[in-house]
Amino acid sequence: MEIALAGNPNVGKSVVFSKLTGVGVISSNYPGTTVEFFEGKAKFMGSTITVIDLPGTYSLAGSTEDERVATNLLFDRRPDTVVAVLDSTRLERNLVFLFELIESGYNVVAALNLYDLMRKARLQVDVERLERILMIPVIPTVATKGEGVDTLLFSSVQLRRKSKFEVRYDSHIEDMIGELQPMLRADDWPLPLRAVALRLLMDDPMVVDAASPEALEAAERLRKEFEKQHGEDIVVHIQRDRFGEAGRIAREVLVEKTPGGKEGSWLSDLTLRPVTGIPILVAVLAGVFLVLVFVGGAIEGLLVGAYTDVARAPFDELKEGVSGSVAIGVLDGLYLSVEAMLALVIPYIVVFYIMLAVLEDTGYLVRVVSLLDGVMHRLGLHGRAVIPMVVGYGCNVPAILATRAMGSKRERLILATLITIAVPCSAQTAIIIGTVGNYSGVWWALSIYLILGGMLVILGFAMHRTIKFEPTGLFIEIPDLRVPSLSQIGGKTYIRVKEFLTIAFPLLLAGSIVLEILLAEGLLQKLIEPSEGFLMVVLGLPGVTVVALVFGMLRKEMALQMLMVLFGTSNLADHLSPEQMFTFALVMAIFMPCLAAFAVLLKEFGPKNTALVTIASVSLALAMGAAAHAILSL
Amino acid sequence: MASEIAEQYLKVIYSLTEHGGLAKTSEIAKAMGVTPASVTEMVRKLSDKGYVRYERYKGVSLNPKGLKIARQVTRKHRLLERFLNDFCGIRGKSRHVQACKMEHVLTDEAERQLCRMMNRPSECPHGKLIPKCERGIACEKCTKESVRLLDMGEGEVATVSHLSSGSKEELCRILAMGFVPGSEVRVEKKVPMGGPIIVSLKGTKIALAREIGGILHMVRA
Repeated sequence: MEIALAGNPNVGKSVVFSKLTGVGVISSNYPGTTVEFFEGKAKFMGSTITVIDLPGTYSLAGSTEDERVATNLLFDRRPDTVVAVLDSTRLERNLVFLFELIESGYNVVAALNLYDLMRKARLQVDVERLERILMIPVIPTVATKGEGVDTLLFSSVQLRRKSKFEVRYDSHIEDMIGELQPMLRADDWPLPLRAVALRLLMDDPMVVDAASPEALEAAERLRKEFEKQHGEDIVVHIQRDRFGEAGRIAREVLVEKTPGGKEGSWLSDLTLRPVTGIPILVAVLAGVFLVLVFVGGAIEGLLVGAYTDVARAPFDELKEGVSGSVAIGVLDGLYLSVEAMLALVIPYIVVFYIMLAVLEDTGYLVRVVSLLDGVMHRLGLHGRAVIPMVVGYGCNVPAILATRAMGSKRERLILATLITIAVPCSAQTAIIIGTVGNYSGVWWALSIYLILGGMLVILGFAMHRTIKFEPTGLFIEIPDLRVPSLSQIGGKTYIRVKEFLTIAFPLLLAGSIVLEILLAEGLLQKLIEPSEGFLMVVLGLPGVTVVALVFGMLRKEMALQMLMVLFGTSNLADHLSPEQMFTFALVMAIFMPCLAAFAVLLKEFGPKNTALVTIASVSLALAMGAAAHAILSL
Repeated sequence: MASEIAEQYLKVIYSLTEHGGLAKTSEIAKAMGVTPASVTEMVRKLSDKGYVRYERYKGVSLNPKGLKIARQVTRKHRLLERFLNDFCGIRGKSRHVQACKMEHVLTDEAERQLCRMMNRPSECPHGKLIPKCERGIACEKCTKESVRLLDMGEGEVATVSHLSSGSKEELCRILAMGFVPGSEVRVEKKVPMGGPIIVSLKGTKIALAREIGGILHMVRA
């Protein structure tokens, strides 16, 4: 047996899903992250039930990607029951969505979710009355606390039936439905004929492709006629009638216990007003950044220390047991990759993901998106691009993954390129601070950030000009600020970290093993030698720094340690002049962040685009480095 | 965009062909007060640009592209004649001559307001039909002073009157969110620097890009 969960975005659908199935899923406040759908298993009286979590949509008309995914899934899978998860505080709009489900002939059970917010606002829904009007089971739920979820499962299994409820459209539309319906044959359609007729009138591509030419022609004629007479698209009238009906029902079933004043939403207001919103945003970003650098750094120190204590000795023993440089290379690579993952994943990525989940689930990120949409549009991007960019200052890998929330492939590519090149991750920041910041002063370090910021703007402009397209207009609901649920944040972080590990770890492992073997065989030095001269002339850097550059491909902050090892001292100032340090840090900051970022690019954008981005980042890094060298040595 | 003289020609061709048939170059020459030779030359140019179809020895007819412009210019011309006649009391040839000049500078917005102000006249003073506007909304809705959501100020409240979008998908997206005719919308905030407009609709806050604010036409309460 199969159940599908459908509903508007931000109604807590994913929470219902995770409560039903006991598996954590992503639930976010900004539309886009749940374009993929989720499946899980629920247990009910000894049998197993498949539960599908559809993407959150406002309708089934198929006018957005999400809607198409949702509608197609319902068409293909024909679930035994569709659970409509409704936001009981926005009953009217949610009822319209419910109408569409009922109209399409599914067995529908409605969950009035977020019912705790109704109680808080001293409102009540007359559930029995609503059940009588809609002729389906209606269950008030508070999914975050698990309230009503069992009843919901019971009703969807035992009490499902088709509703006879129908939205009455205006007489002209009803006449047209009446004229079209006899031209359709019930056997041809998985939907009730009334729904097919309506969709034909709305020119819905889902049914248009399958309709007989005769019916299609009639629908076309009727639609034209309607438009001529009323001067408006028929969709406008259909939706108006649905909202009218929904409004009537909502008024009938809503019971106000006491005339309650509206909850103070002053905080929500402050985040949306630019005067206060921008300082709040800066503070939040600074907070995220500081937590990443300090808390992340502290955890890294602890973990790496512990790992060295525990694993070093057994590894050395193992190494003594084997012979041959290849085997030793493999072991060293393994040791190094595990260390890299420990140093990267738990301190930075996990911490970052937790903070991101909190920002998402409170509804804060949507506000940031609205606030910055205008500015980002000038760079050819959406306000949504802010999120991946901020993520990028922590680690570029999740940032590139986060570009999925962008509307189009091109927007994604622009954003990913900007992030790879002009947004330094925390490891790149460590290099900038460790070299220039330590030895030349804060102002030099800041100037690197300024250069990167300038590159971001110029590159954004340039790409906006060359890759022509219009970013789709922003159109999103701003949910109320909420206290996020811990289990949701946990589940979300878990899924994201898992995704990151499966992509990055194998590559990191393979990369470090190859590198170690090359090092052990002495091949690396031979590969590097020819480029040393080039580096000396163009960048004015000592030849050995190439090794550090190459090592930086694995782990950026390792490059710094590598440099110290190569020079045989922890005081870099003995071997590098301030100018050289500046050049080195600048090159490292623009350079492809690491192998893991490369892997993610490859997975998300394919080999051709990845090659382009890589070439762009490497050549830009060298060009900027050469320019810095030329200017500084004047 | 067609030049003023091209608009003039298209208008004349329209009035000669509005009841069917083709416009002869000699007729056009007479109406324009020029020689048939210069008409032939101009008609060639218009034909090259795809505004008209010219069949030698038969005459000229309008292509859809030319028809669109011709209708709009004729509409302005006849509305203006009506205005000069009814409101200013101007009679005789002068009325036609003035309207001929004004029709090219009158903006579409002014044309719309003129039409509303005169309560949607259907005929010009000569008894010729005024072509309908191509805005695609019913005249009853047009008479109500509507304003685009984009042009509303912060804190203003208005109800949706109609939506004007060429894209069906966009229309569906906006409607599904609840922006149906008759629903009340309050402009909460217009984020500066080209940022979105934040509105509240039945207790829900929604951020929408300015382009979308241009699609929604509102009537103030």
